[in-house]
Amino acid sequence: MTTIASQQQAPAAAHAESRIRVLSVLVEDGSNTLSKVSGLIRRRGFHVRSISVGPSKQAGRSVMTLTIDAGHAEVDQVRKQLDRLVEVLEVHDLTGHEVHSRELVVARVSAGEVDGLLQRGARVLDSGPDGTTVEFAGEGKDVGDFVNELTRHGIVDVVRSGPVVLRRTA
Amino acid sequence: MVLEALEREGVEFIFGYPGGANLPIYQHLPEHPKLRHILVRHEQGAAHMADGYARACGKPGVVFATSGPGALNLVTGLCTAYMDSVPMVAITGQVNSTQVGRDAFQESDVIGATSSVTKHSYLVTSIDQLPRVIHEAFHIATTGRPGPVLIDICKDVQQADAQRVTPERLEIPGYRLNGHVDLADAEKAAKALSAAERPVILAGHGVLLSHAERELMQLAEKAGAPVGTTLLGIGAFPVQHPLSLHMTGFMGTGWNIKAVQNADVLMMVGMRVDDRVTARLADFAPKVKTFIHVDIDGSEMGKNVRSHIELVADARNAIEAMIPHVGPVDAGRGQWLAQIDAWREEHPLRFTRSNGHLQPQDVLIDMYRRCRSEAIVVADVGQNQIWAALWWNYDRPGLFINSGGAGTMGFALPAAIGAKFGRPELPVWCVAGEGGFVMTAQELSVAAEHQLDVKIVILNNSSLGMVRQFQDDFYGGVRSQVDLTHMPDFVKLAEAYGLPAVRVDRLADVAPAMDAAERTKGPFLIDFRIDPEANVYPIVPLGKGLNDFWEAPDK
Repeated sequence: MTTIASQQQAPAAAHAESRIRVLSVLVEDGSNTLSKVSGLIRRRGFHVRSISVGPSKQAGRSVMTLTIDAGHAEVDQVRKQLDRLVEVLEVHDLTGHEVHSRELVVARVSAGEVDGLLQRGARVLDSGPDGTTVEFAGEGKDVGDFVNELTRHGIVDVVRSGPVVLRRTA
Repeated sequence: MVLEALEREGVEFIFGYPGGANLPIYQHLPEHPKLRHILVRHEQGAAHMADGYARACGKPGVVFATSGPGALNLVTGLCTAYMDSVPMVAITGQVNSTQVGRDAFQESDVIGATSSVTKHSYLVTSIDQLPRVIHEAFHIATTGRPGPVLIDICKDVQQADAQRVTPERLEIPGYRLNGHVDLADAEKAAKALSAAERPVILAGHGVLLSHAERELMQLAEKAGAPVGTTLLGIGAFPVQHPLSLHMTGFMGTGWNIKAVQNADVLMMVGMRVDDRVTARLADFAPKVKTFIHVDIDGSEMGKNVRSHIELVADARNAIEAMIPHVGPVDAGRGQWLAQIDAWREEHPLRFTRSNGHLQPQDVLIDMYRRCRSEAIVVADVGQNQIWAALWWNYDRPGLFINSGGAGTMGFALPAAIGAKFGRPELPVWCVAGEGGFVMTAQELSVAAEHQLDVKIVILNNSSLGMVRQFQDDFYGGVRSQVDLTHMPDFVKLAEAYGLPAVRVDRLADVAPAMDAAERTKGPFLIDFRIDPEANVYPIVPLGKGLNDFWEAPDK
C-alpha cells in the first residue's frame, strides 16, 4: 500500500514535495494530444517529474499518469488547467489518496551472479557473456532501492519507467 | 464543402486573404453570395477585423488565411482574441496531407504555433472529418468562455469530392460547460454581500459576454453595493450611475481604488483578477474578509486570488440566483456610500491645459459630447486606450472595444473596421496613438474600398507615449527608443489611401475637425497633435500596491 504523499525522500524537501501532484488523466487519442498536454504544462510554469501513457480500457482513449510539480502556481491549477483541454476527458488527482503505484526498471549488469537482485524480486530476462538483463517492478521507493542495489552488480545500462498509478478500492 | 458549412453556421462575413494552400476554397467563393468576403491587406488585419466584428455584434468572427506565413500572420490576432475570450473561427489552408512534414512550400506547423493562443484547434486530413469539425469549432468558439478556434485544412481535403453531409449531433466528451449554479453558494454570496459593511462589486468582460448587465444593476441596487468595472468590463455598469466606481485597477479611478482597498466584501464577477487589476498582489484589497468570485471558467478560481465563495457559473445565472437572497442591507451602508462619494470628490479625474498644447482629454470630451451612448469607440493600446476608457461615460454594453489582455498595438484600425461591418447602424470611432496606428495602417485600404463610415482619431504625441511615461517615472527618466517624430504625414498618407483627413494642433480646431468628420460619409482621419508630455493618471507605480496610486499633478 502506498500513499503518494508519503513518498517524500527528505523532510527538507517537504515544501517542494507538497507542490507535486499525481494525476491520472483520460485523454482522447489524437496527433495533438501529447503536445497539447505537454505544451500546457510548460506554458503554465509547471514541471514534469514523470509521464506514462498507455491505452485505456476504452478504444481511442489513453490514460496518462502524470507527476507534475506546480512550480509557482497554485497546486490545484494543474488539474484545472488540464481539465480545460478539449482533448482531456477526465482528470483524477490521486495526490494523498491510497493507491497502487508501480514503476518498471529494466537493467543490464555485468555480473553473472545476481542472487541479490533475485531476492528482491527481480526476474532475469536474459544472460550471456555480456552480462545479465533483469527486470523489476515496484513502488517508486523500492525501484530506487533496487537501482542502488544494481550498482553493486556493475550497471551496464538501465531504463526506468514513470509510475502508473491506480487508486485503491478498499 | 467548407463554404456550405459556413452558410449552415449562419456566417455573414469572412475576413481573409487567399494564397496557394486555400485556392480551392476561394475558387468556389463566388458561388456563395451570402458569404461576404472582405479582402484584407495583411492577415493580422483579418484576425483583428473578425475580433472587432465579434465584439461589436456578438457573432463569431470568421477568418481565412493560407498556409505558412499567411497562417502565422494570424498568431497575434488569435492571441488577442484568446486573451479577451472573443469567439472566432480561423480557417487556414495547409499543404496536401501527403506533403505534411516534408517542409513543403509554405508549410508550417500552424497547429503547433497556435495551440497556446486558441481555445481548440483541428488539423483536417480527410474530407469525412470536415462537417463535424466545422460544426464543433463554431460550438466551442461561441459557448462557455468563448475563444478562437483554428481549423487547418489540407489542400487535398479542400479539393476532395464529398457527398453533402449534415453534421451529426454534437458529441464532444472532453468539452464541458459550466452553466449550473450552486444555489447554496449563490445564497451564501448574496448574504455576505447584504451583511457587508463595505461591499464592492467588480465586473469584468464575463458580465458583458453573458448579457448580465441588467441583473448586475438589480443586484447592486438591491444590495446597495457600488460597482466598478475592469478595462474589458467597461459598459457592464453605467459610468454615471450613482453606484458606479468607474474603472478599477492600476490605472483605475482614485475613488474606485479607495473603495476596493477599504472593502470588507469584494465580489469579482466575470473576470480573471489579473495583475493589471490587483497591482501588487500582496497589497490588493487588504481589508476584505470575504472574497466572492464568479466566473464560468473554474481554472480562474484561486489562480490569482483565493476566494471564500466561488461560483463557477455563467455570470447572469449566478447573479440571478443571488438576487432573491439579498436580505436587509447592513445599517452602515449609507455611511459607506457617503464615504465613496467623498472619495469621488477628493480624487476626480483631472488634467491640466497649462502648457498651450492640445490635450488628449479635450479631444475625447468633444467626441463624447457628440456621440454620447450612440457610438462604438475602438481603442488601440497605450495611453490612448486608457484615456478613451476613462474620459468617456460608457453607459451601455458593447460601446468600448479594446485589446485588454494581450495589449496588441495595431488592433484599433482593423477592429474598428470589423466593428463597423458588425454594427453598421452605429457610428464607429477608432482611437489610436500614431505608434500603434502605423502597425496596421495598410487596412485603410479596406475602409476606403468599402467606404466604411469609420472615423479615425490619431492622438499623435510623436512618441511611444505609455513607454515614455514609464521610462520617465519608473526607469530612471531615461528616454530610450521612444521618439516617433519621424513618421509619415498622416494627412497625406490618408489621402494616398483615398480618404479625407485633417491635422489639428489646437483646441479651437477640434470641434470644426470633428464636424467635418461627422459630415463626411465614409472614412475620415484626424491627426491630433497632442501634448507630447501628456500622461495617464491615476497610475500605480510598477511593482507597487494599489494604495500607492499617483494622481495627476496639480499644475
